[in-house]
Amino acid sequence: MTGLTLYGVANGLIQYLLTHLYGVLPHPYFAFLVNGAVVTGLSVLVFAAILLGASMINTIMLIWFERKLLGRFMDRRGAMHVGYAGLLQNFADGLKLFRKHTYKPHDADALGFYVAPTAYLVSSLLIFAILPASTGWGAGALPLSLLLALVVFSFAPLFIFLSAWSQANKYSLIGGMRSAAQMIAYEVPILLAVVAVVIVSGSFDLTTIVTMQQNYWYWIPLLLALVVFVTGMLAEMERIPFDLPEAEAELVEGWNTEYGGMLFAFFMLSDYLRALIGSFLVVLLFFGGWTMPGWVPGPLTSFPLEGLFWFLVKTYAVFGVFVWIRASLPRVRTDQLLRIGWMRMVPLALLSIVLAVGLVLIRCLPLLGCLPSLGG
Amino acid sequence: MSPPETEAERSNSSVLWVAKPLATAARQFVKSLWRPSTIVYPFERLEDPKFRTEVRVAAGKPIGVGAVWDNYRGVHALNIDTCISCNLCAFSCPDLCIDMVTVPGGDPKHPKKCPQIDYGKCSYCGFCSDACPEGCLTMTTRYELSVTKRAEMVYAPERLHEVYKTKLPMSPIRVERPQNEDSILLDAPLCIGCNACARDCPTKCITMLDIPKPAAKPGEKIPKRIWKEPVVNDSDCVRCGTCISVCPKECLFWGTHR
Repeated sequence: MTGLTLYGVANGLIQYLLTHLYGVLPHPYFAFLVNGAVVTGLSVLVFAAILLGASMINTIMLIWFERKLLGRFMDRRGAMHVGYAGLLQNFADGLKLFRKHTYKPHDADALGFYVAPTAYLVSSLLIFAILPASTGWGAGALPLSLLLALVVFSFAPLFIFLSAWSQANKYSLIGGMRSAAQMIAYEVPILLAVVAVVIVSGSFDLTTIVTMQQNYWYWIPLLLALVVFVTGMLAEMERIPFDLPEAEAELVEGWNTEYGGMLFAFFMLSDYLRALIGSFLVVLLFFGGWTMPGWVPGPLTSFPLEGLFWFLVKTYAVFGVFVWIRASLPRVRTDQLLRIGWMRMVPLALLSIVLAVGLVLIRCLPLLGCLPSLGG
Repeated sequence: MSPPETEAERSNSSVLWVAKPLATAARQFVKSLWRPSTIVYPFERLEDPKFRTEVRVAAGKPIGVGAVWDNYRGVHALNIDTCISCNLCAFSCPDLCIDMVTVPGGDPKHPKKCPQIDYGKCSYCGFCSDACPEGCLTMTTRYELSVTKRAEMVYAPERLHEVYKTKLPMSPIRVERPQNEDSILLDAPLCIGCNACARDCPTKCITMLDIPKPAAKPGEKIPKRIWKEPVVNDSDCVRCGTCISVCPKECLFWGTHR
């Protein structure tokens, strides 16, 4: 672990700028700038900007990653021409969407129509401030950061339904209702699976959960919870095989039929932001976050920003599994979706909770090392 | 396969329903990791030598990736030097996409005319190359025709000659003429010996031979004409019909020698 933190980087950037502004700016302004509170505020702004840029770039690279992987699954290449191996293709697509005019249907409710995509994007972005990507690369130690992340994550059905309602289009409304129903249905197994992790780790703080996985990663004892969590996340992200609200092969666009241009880009970005967040959460809860097991050779875990590096490697690997599932499985029907959710996933999640309690009760796994006690 | 009966059987198969497709997709992924089936088209082509090794051959013909058939009917190649301006290609074209346009090389009185092809109309039927008696108009394996202006789809004879010079594989040339073909026959009493047919014959297979001037009989007027008659060399004739179309008296016609 290096002492480098994201806030430290932002603060250092501001300090560096201030030293170069000395003598350039008139004195009163400069005196105002070097005020401690102002420096802190600016640093927080830069911190947020870096986080925003990093998450956006990661999201766009995630789309590229998915396109390339999906291409190989389908015996083709994916995007090839813009940038090396199509790396810049999605940036170009984004620029195209920037240029496009956004139309609002005549009967649509302007407030909901414009607010819903923005709020959807912002609520998705908000989670990045909560999730720690490495030590010092989050908003800091929040005792209930896991709970907060899941709460913000579950705002989505509200905004989807808001946008579906505001579009004054019956098909969007039906799609939005299906989407909201699906998301709410799968909140339950997700939370129950998370409860198993919380029971074993004894904390709601993501940083603590990660540091608790020093001896073994939680997917080994909690494989059941992992399966439930990944399934629920797939449903939450509306990805194949649970992409009923936006069935690409059948519907026009699901609940965002009327959106075009940048507002559509907001939804698209948010979808992939949520996919990224889902992968982040899987890595943080089950795959040891930014830590690597002790048997990994030293040079591989002792370079600058190694925590961040391994975290991203794991995240992309988990997302690769999502893409693998997308490439393999057919879409389920609505009744199958709800049956899987309520009749398979919830009992499995409850079973995983029982397993987690059992693990905590025996306290010590002979092969894996000692588990922490639950609350002393 | 009967539907699952018991609950245990059903749960077992539902696990398989997830696991089997995953395994199939993984196998496909590993297979296409080295090289997917698609090629990066504008930068590499199926005809490139690097794909020749991947051609599967059955019954002496290449199958699938790696080749364009040798009898593919693509853009025409025209050898201007051997073209005899016989007009048969334009005559046989069902789409009327061939115009005979003047090219340099003829004498001023009888300009040399070669086919100009409008690919906006062409249906690649290959009748023109079948009809070409000299084998100078053939179809190549070139298939790239996209242009930005409609006028660019019209290939002048010079441009077709450029295609010829690329030495692309060409469709088989059929120069032998079918048997039992009609010949040019002469309705002798109508002929005035004007030499138009011999002058315009692209293969110069018509010779004007002198015929004896008949002696005048009493009460009968000797027609005023040149005392010559066309004789067609059937082995050189390409049956283009130019002589028939230029004959001012319509005394030449298609027929069979008795």
